[in-house]
Amino acid sequence: MPKNQVPGPLLAVQNVSKNFGGVCALDNVSLEVYPGEVHGLIGSNGAGKSTLIKILSGDIQKDGGTILFDGVPFTAHNPHESYKEGLGFIHQELALVPKFSILQNLTLGLPKTTHFGLINWKAERKRAAAVAERVGLQQPLDAIVDQLSVADQWLVSIAHALIHKCRIISMDEPTASLSAEESENLFKLMAELTAEGTSILYVSHRLDEILRLCDGISVFKDGNCVLRTSRREATRETLIEAIVGGKISAVPLETGGGARREVILEARHLKGGGGRVRDVSFVLHRGEVLGIGGLVGAGRTELANLLFGVDKIEDGSVLFEGRPYRPKNPAAAIKNGVALVPEERRTQALILKDSIDFNLSLTNLDFLKIGGLFILNQKKSAALSQAVVKRLGVKTPSINTPVIDLSGGNQQKVVIGKWLNRAMKIIIFDEPSRGVDVGARAEIHAKIRELAAEGAAIIVISSDNEELPRVCDRVLVMSFGRVSGELAGNEITKEAILYKSYERGT
Amino acid sequence: MVDKNNSIEAKIKRRKTFLMVSKFGTIIGMAIMFLAFSIAVPHIFPTPLNMVNIANQASLAAIVAGGLTMALIVGEMDLSIAYLASFAGVFVTGLMVNQHLPMWLSIVITLAACTALGFLNGLIITKLRVNAVVATLGTGSIIVGLTFAYAQGVPIASGLPPAFQQLAIGKTFGVPNNIGFMVIVLALLWLFLNYTEWGVQLRATGGNPQASRLSGISVDRIKILGLCIASFCAGITGILLASLIGSGTSAAADGYLMPAFAAVFLGSATLKDGDFHIIGTLIGVFFIQIGFNGLAIFGAPTFVQYFFRGGILVIAVGLSSVARIIATK
Repeated sequence: MPKNQVPGPLLAVQNVSKNFGGVCALDNVSLEVYPGEVHGLIGSNGAGKSTLIKILSGDIQKDGGTILFDGVPFTAHNPHESYKEGLGFIHQELALVPKFSILQNLTLGLPKTTHFGLINWKAERKRAAAVAERVGLQQPLDAIVDQLSVADQWLVSIAHALIHKCRIISMDEPTASLSAEESENLFKLMAELTAEGTSILYVSHRLDEILRLCDGISVFKDGNCVLRTSRREATRETLIEAIVGGKISAVPLETGGGARREVILEARHLKGGGGRVRDVSFVLHRGEVLGIGGLVGAGRTELANLLFGVDKIEDGSVLFEGRPYRPKNPAAAIKNGVALVPEERRTQALILKDSIDFNLSLTNLDFLKIGGLFILNQKKSAALSQAVVKRLGVKTPSINTPVIDLSGGNQQKVVIGKWLNRAMKIIIFDEPSRGVDVGARAEIHAKIRELAAEGAAIIVISSDNEELPRVCDRVLVMSFGRVSGELAGNEITKEAILYKSYERGT
Repeated sequence: MVDKNNSIEAKIKRRKTFLMVSKFGTIIGMAIMFLAFSIAVPHIFPTPLNMVNIANQASLAAIVAGGLTMALIVGEMDLSIAYLASFAGVFVTGLMVNQHLPMWLSIVITLAACTALGFLNGLIITKLRVNAVVATLGTGSIIVGLTFAYAQGVPIASGLPPAFQQLAIGKTFGVPNNIGFMVIVLALLWLFLNYTEWGVQLRATGGNPQASRLSGISVDRIKILGLCIASFCAGITGILLASLIGSGTSAAADGYLMPAFAAVFLGSATLKDGDFHIIGTLIGVFFIQIGFNGLAIFGAPTFVQYFFRGGILVIAVGLSSVARIIATK
């Protein structure tokens, strides 16, 4: 926080530009980050945030402009250089060595104290213990990183930046995989760090967090910094307007009334997913959107995996249209009319190098065959893909574009599109709008409602407690593998979901 | 939003530029080599007779490399193919000479046995979760053992039906049969990969196994299929080689392993961003064969041929991994 005598900016980006093959990714962008400040970087996907971060971290080189770090011109030629200078970058996919212990990860790349050329682990341990304590890491230093929760892995990453004496730490969507409680702990840690003079560059789609945490806020759109503001001046509306570049109508989506609908699926005392799902019972109706809220680790994704046949149901039963249902693999679930839009689109849903058409066809191969034979009808596939692209408004030059070239929101639309060419009875959305920009998010929500209106039963799993009240008719809250509450209609509020999330389910 | 379209265009443009460079890279290399040999030995190398000769020599490697492409496409590996090809040559001749089975039946049994061994590879890799390199290294050695156990290390030469020898040596419409077999097998593989349900599932499985499973594809089954095709193709090569050399000899086809890998990896950097594909494999095979043929005519000492073979493999793998890095950037 700026003190009385205003210090100079720790990081000053001045008129930085970057072109990719003639296309402008960053156009004369300037911003300042002061010591001890949390600076928010927001904007839709493809607006230029990541380009700026990549320039700062040395992944790519700027074409023009200057960057001053602590008043001195600064150019990083590779990530290692920027780290040495004191800029730490924590990406959404954490760059930790999974099979190394916390201690080994923390001291990775650090010049180590040695005895006759051998690493003096005792001294290293002391040093690591000090930063671990500073970030509030409760795990023993010998714990292996891939066995830690995501929240603890974040703490390790932050500790890693601290042990390398980073003065500015960039965090990309830090709360994306954290529960509300874990997020609060992270925010507390951020406050402590900034009080000690460390600056934080906070990249996020979550406007409530930005408004709460960030002293300075820069909004990016089309490679320009279109708005420089602070949390004192900004409101949610001004930020959204700047991101979208126009007014957005805040008309609540029409959720289908409380009319009694036919039950399509009934789960009784479900158990599975390696103990993550302990005892879950619920009913699902045709044409409704059922939300599942709760903290990360409450067993929601695992519940979806049971219903989709990814994991085995260990105990309990499911009635699907009145008949017992126990899918032995995803293929069986799909045959029954159950679809899953998984949490991680890049690793679980898409074949990135292949085209939109190829990806969309994968779920439909059985009816793309000519005359039930073996040969695929490519024309039909192309026509179906074209229709999906049009229906979902996927922004792409053609259906033959590799999905890796699409923005996050458009990739997510492709994932959803995989299930639109066949009549699915139940569609499970796991974190449907994670890492997606505001515009695409609204479109995805509208599509979910539309599918429900057409008669499908929808399950939406979300850690974003603003998302559930927007799209759901009914919300189940899960806690520690059990259902801790059910909300309907007006009861569905962010606060209610959060409150139930902390209750022990029965 | 306009910016997105722009950045998509930029990415596509970059990839397209790279694609051209990579496409021309291999093909220009091939052209330069061709030109150099043509200048060096003008009256022997660039003759129609030698062109047919190159295609003929390339054909067996192309079939085994085509099969290997399938194993690599599903994201696995098969180091046993060359040993399997040797086994096929010994087994097929043995069935005819020792068991006095008719030719067609011997071929069918041999191909079935090869496919069964591929199935075994697949089971070991998918069900026992053994790394493919280790698994096929192991089964490869077992197959060598099988070959010796069956033939006791003695070449099976006398008593082969003349029709069997005509299989590879004979000509149809003036074209050596082997070239015809190569064209048929590779065309079928290409059609299979691009136009059939299983082919698409094969490519999807290699691209992202988890996403494929969540799209309803039986990933294990598809991987087994890929390995079966690899073994089946190795079987064809082994049979044709036995026909060509007129005997079933242990270890006859062992030398195909290296050129097959070199060809497939070289091909993966050709025309596509580091993806394995049939047309690339075919180009890779010809690249290597032109090199071998030219060097042999040129009278290059044996060590140069080994340098060429090893060098191509390293350069090819290097090229394809660079291609992959650029493609995913």
